[in-house]
Amino acid sequence: MTANDVVERIKKNLGIPWNEKTYRDTFKVGDPQTEVKGIATTFMATLDLIQRAHAAGVNFVITHEPTFWSDRDTVAGLTDDPIYKFKVDFCARNQMVVWRFHDHIHAHQPDLIWVGLARALGWQERPGPGSRGQFTFPQTTLGELAAAIARRMNIRAMRVVGDPKAKVSSAAAGMGYNIPRVTPSVDVVIGGENPEAGGQFDDTEYVLDAAFFGRNHGQIILGHQVSEEPGMEDCATWLRTFVTEVPIRWIRAGEPFWSPKA
Amino acid sequence: MELSRRLFARLAGTAALAGPALRGKQTPFTAQDVVDRVQKNIGSSWLPESLDNIKAGAASTAVTGIATTAMATMDVLARAVKEKTNFVVTLEPVFFGRLDAPLASDPVYNDKQDYIRKNNLVIWRIGDHWRARKPDPLATGLARTLGWTEHQVADDPARYDLPPITLGALVDDLATRLHARAGIRVVGDPQTSLRRVHLLPGVTPLDATVKALPACDVVVAGETREWESVEYAQDTVAAGQKKGFVMLGHVLSEEPGMSLCADWLKSLVTEVPVHWIPAGDPYWRPA
Repeated sequence: MTANDVVERIKKNLGIPWNEKTYRDTFKVGDPQTEVKGIATTFMATLDLIQRAHAAGVNFVITHEPTFWSDRDTVAGLTDDPIYKFKVDFCARNQMVVWRFHDHIHAHQPDLIWVGLARALGWQERPGPGSRGQFTFPQTTLGELAAAIARRMNIRAMRVVGDPKAKVSSAAAGMGYNIPRVTPSVDVVIGGENPEAGGQFDDTEYVLDAAFFGRNHGQIILGHQVSEEPGMEDCATWLRTFVTEVPIRWIRAGEPFWSPKA
Repeated sequence: MELSRRLFARLAGTAALAGPALRGKQTPFTAQDVVDRVQKNIGSSWLPESLDNIKAGAASTAVTGIATTAMATMDVLARAVKEKTNFVVTLEPVFFGRLDAPLASDPVYNDKQDYIRKNNLVIWRIGDHWRARKPDPLATGLARTLGWTEHQVADDPARYDLPPITLGALVDDLATRLHARAGIRVVGDPQTSLRRVHLLPGVTPLDATVKALPACDVVVAGETREWESVEYAQDTVAAGQKKGFVMLGHVLSEEPGMSLCADWLKSLVTEVPVHWIPAGDPYWRPA
């Protein structure tokens, strides 16, 4: 079975039409005709992840995020870069193949990345249409809520805005490069990463100012990897239902940061 | 024009010299006067399509004092009021977004507008033009706050050659000097020994990182994206290079550049006091 065979089988089992125009969900490294020994799903095909996958006997990496540091994996202008060369050489020497699975895993019903995050948070969404990412819970404080999420998801570099003593009982969550917009009707917004200032809507400044006026709001920034890595475990589970010829494992890219003691 | 106005203001402010006739003609020193003086001295032609305009308050307001800040949060405005300063010069937006668009019926927006009105504040954004000044005031200011000025490489305000220091010790020093809370995040082994630093405050795009990191030991960035500069830095470390990548956060990385802005304004404006109010690291994390 080749890497291309795996991708064709994914397309067949997706349940939605394949968007042939996608620039994201394409092969990024290696020959699609390579015979697959093992599959790893992961948040991002970092060099470290590819090295660990290779060490584990895997030669096909299915990654949610880019390999070459930009959404389009644009390599023009990078071909003389020492890190680019190192990464490409390592993959070539070890016949590694990398394919990105982004747009279509989000478009799958249900969005497997979302399923993973909701499971990792351990929350039940409010039932009803249009309620994805909307949560209510027994009243707690922002500080306790953030601490519980950090413990549960084992986050090193979480960032939180707002008064830790603010009483909160509702949240809106997003994943990846998306933190929902904070509004008067939602206490806490949670997500992967976001522009900090000067964006479309700056949750950070809004929550700081809301706290000044004694309004109970909070912003919890999990990290992009933290918010989307769990969904790639759901991806591995789903793949195993129709790819049985080779072992499939979820290998975490891992949280990229550490943070000094505050 | 500028000199004569300054001279006039000085004369007008000196009771012994200002007779009743002159006093009667005295015009207040307004926010517009400050804006005019900055535009004349900023060193580049003013871009009419930029976002650098008065975001709140009236340009005709008499200025009691000037505060510069990276982000005009409520905490910053309250401190300005306490210090009897009513003209706030900000690098980042006031009303929660790039365009400072009105948010009709939003309580936080309305509370902030009310506070500004009641306290007769004027808020002016200087983001585009301050960033465009040469040499780069954000990097220069950051280096000054970090105590690195004497280590600058040639005439490049972004590059510093420090006595060898580990990434861990460097990060502790950054956190202390910038009064960081939880905003600083780091890629790399804390034990790595470093010497050559490249400063990329504000928003740090991939191309800037790809250009800087191969030629230095550590990049000190502002705000990045995890699938761009962060992954490049991770891969640099995984490729065996003894390097580091530090993200200060957008606002925290820009604060010292606005402290520098206050000093520059002091050289232009002598009529009223000018000072810097830090917005502070917006982030904390649970213990």
